[in-house]
Amino acid sequence: MYDAPTMEVLLGITGKDFTLIAASKAAMRGATVLKASDDKTRALNKHTLMAFSGEAGDTVQFAEYIQANAQLYSMRNEADLSPSALANFVRGELASSLRSRKPYHVNLLLGGVDPITHKSRLYWLDYLAALAPVPYAAHGYAQYYCLSILDKHHHPDISLGQGIKLLNLCTDELKRRLPIDFKGMVVKAVTKDGIIDIEFDDDKVVHAA
Amino acid sequence: MSSPFSINGGACVAMVGKDCVAIACDLRLGLQALTVSNNFPKIFQYGDNVFLGLTGLATDVNTVSDLFRWKVNMYRLREERQIAPRTFANLVSSSLYEKRFGPYFVSPVVAGLDPKTGRPFICGFDSIGCIDFAKDFIVSGTASEQLFGMCESLWEPDLDADALFETISQSLLNAVDRDALSGWGAHVYIIEKDKVTKRLLKGRQD
Amino acid sequence: MSMFSQNPLMNGPNYSFSETPRVGAPEGAREHRFDPYTDNGGSTLAIAGADFTIMAGDTRLTSGYSINSRFHRKVFKIGGTTTDQHDAHLVLSVVGFAADGEALMERVDAMCKMYRYRHGRPISVKACAQRLSTILYNKRFFPYYAYAILGGLDEEGKGAVYSYDPVGSYEREQCRAGGAAASLIMPFLDNQVNFKNQFIPGSGEGHALQERERRPLTRQEVEVLVKDAFDGAVERHIEVGDGLQMMVITNKGIEEIILPLKRD
Repeated sequence: MYDAPTMEVLLGITGKDFTLIAASKAAMRGATVLKASDDKTRALNKHTLMAFSGEAGDTVQFAEYIQANAQLYSMRNEADLSPSALANFVRGELASSLRSRKPYHVNLLLGGVDPITHKSRLYWLDYLAALAPVPYAAHGYAQYYCLSILDKHHHPDISLGQGIKLLNLCTDELKRRLPIDFKGMVVKAVTKDGIIDIEFDDDKVVHAA
Repeated sequence: MSSPFSINGGACVAMVGKDCVAIACDLRLGLQALTVSNNFPKIFQYGDNVFLGLTGLATDVNTVSDLFRWKVNMYRLREERQIAPRTFANLVSSSLYEKRFGPYFVSPVVAGLDPKTGRPFICGFDSIGCIDFAKDFIVSGTASEQLFGMCESLWEPDLDADALFETISQSLLNAVDRDALSGWGAHVYIIEKDKVTKRLLKGRQD
Repeated sequence: MSMFSQNPLMNGPNYSFSETPRVGAPEGAREHRFDPYTDNGGSTLAIAGADFTIMAGDTRLTSGYSINSRFHRKVFKIGGTTTDQHDAHLVLSVVGFAADGEALMERVDAMCKMYRYRHGRPISVKACAQRLSTILYNKRFFPYYAYAILGGLDEEGKGAVYSYDPVGSYEREQCRAGGAAASLIMPFLDNQVNFKNQFIPGSGEGHALQERERRPLTRQEVEVLVKDAFDGAVERHIEVGDGLQMMVITNKGIEEIILPLKRD
């Protein structure tokens, strides 16, 4: 019933005043890597970022549909939806798609900073549209390797620098354990001032024990 | 294991006491054996003393809880009063039966006090809305067998609020400890006339 | 001229199942299946005390929705010198497929008798427990479909309970429930025998709370617990009911107690 996990990596970590979102750069079809600089994230507004993985055509189609609607809302109302409002909107769309003729097969992480409270937010959604607010999250096989690391080392009050260190701990483990090269990570941080691209060292070589 | 009812795991129980009712749930959200979240409550409030517990497929727990939030809000606007537990139970039943041939994969539990008589009210449902009115307790979720065993041996009639809290807490805690898909803490609501007490139980974190 | 007219293929008596090979059937391969197992329901329970062990089981025997017997024992004295087991010192309970359970019980009993013959003394629970595991594992690929629990007193005179899966994994425990209502009874035992989730009020916050200290239960307490556990199981499981058979093992021997359970 529940689909097998994929090799695509999505990671999300919240901290004191930011949310980190990271996604693997490899675009894979079966055993082939088609692209090594894929960006599996879309900005929904100034302070909400969505990362996605799943079935080939569905992912970008669904993400950009959500992105367009989020932007339309911002334009019409001259106000952005909060991360929680967007998460519930995305869930609604994914849930109604689930019981349609051809459901979207997309797993999502939605990270952001609440524009009013300035609290960091992270939402985990699977392709069945189960929504859970979490302090840190992953999708695919990455869950099995990273959640335990995050369980041990995460703290809600960490700084951005500590968050990136934590992320490195996770990607190192993935490089060590995943059987294929996921071509490094696109890393972005959402803060109250907007979405920042984070330089991330993809070339670091990690050897398995 | 591949049933939609047991992908995410979870447990819920409601009990009747003397002039009070209790409802409790675990906090786990998982994907089969992997725990994704340990803060996923399954009890939702729809009035001063109307509570709904939902176990089963997490996406449907979300969908159904949202749906009833909307339906109960509409009811309150139209009627200019709060919904009563028995009315809410019938709303749950008919809403679930609407999806007779493509059901929500949830096992709901309703608990509350009748606003007029103050009498305790609990009931459970199957996924297509058949109501199970019970005088004692209702269980649901992947730990339902364990909960039946616990409740059947610990529960007795006319427990006061404190004794009811201890009974429902022990029932839930010990039941979920024998179910791999449930646990990771619990929420317990004790509903008395003019007072609702919500407690967070830590429980075993494994 | 054949001796058995019913079965021309084997020249033997008839099959006990419906999908029999047919003569004169059209050409082509057909599948014949015989399911050698039935689940006969029922439940068992064992609790070890300081100087006694209580083994219990209900006495209902079912197949599907039918009740085949309201008084079928699944708790047996074993290791005695006679057929009435008056001097037995071990108790074996079996639940699952009744035929396999009884076959297993007879084998273990015979084994205990052989042990006594060879060594000139009764077998210890520990030795019997290890041997039972071996017996079960020897049929790893055509198992006895039975969940066994072995009870007795150990070398120090303390209550001992050993529980098994059908292929011989085993463990010594304080208490164990087996069979159809195991999942109903086991959490109750955790709570009431091992005091799980019970803490000393005001002794700390969250996980710093101190656990209620465990204490050995008296025979009277355990008997009440067993009855309560089964009364609960009977209420919610259709395969459990009719009668409660209890074996109390002390250094004075084994006492059998039979109590009524609900028959609906």
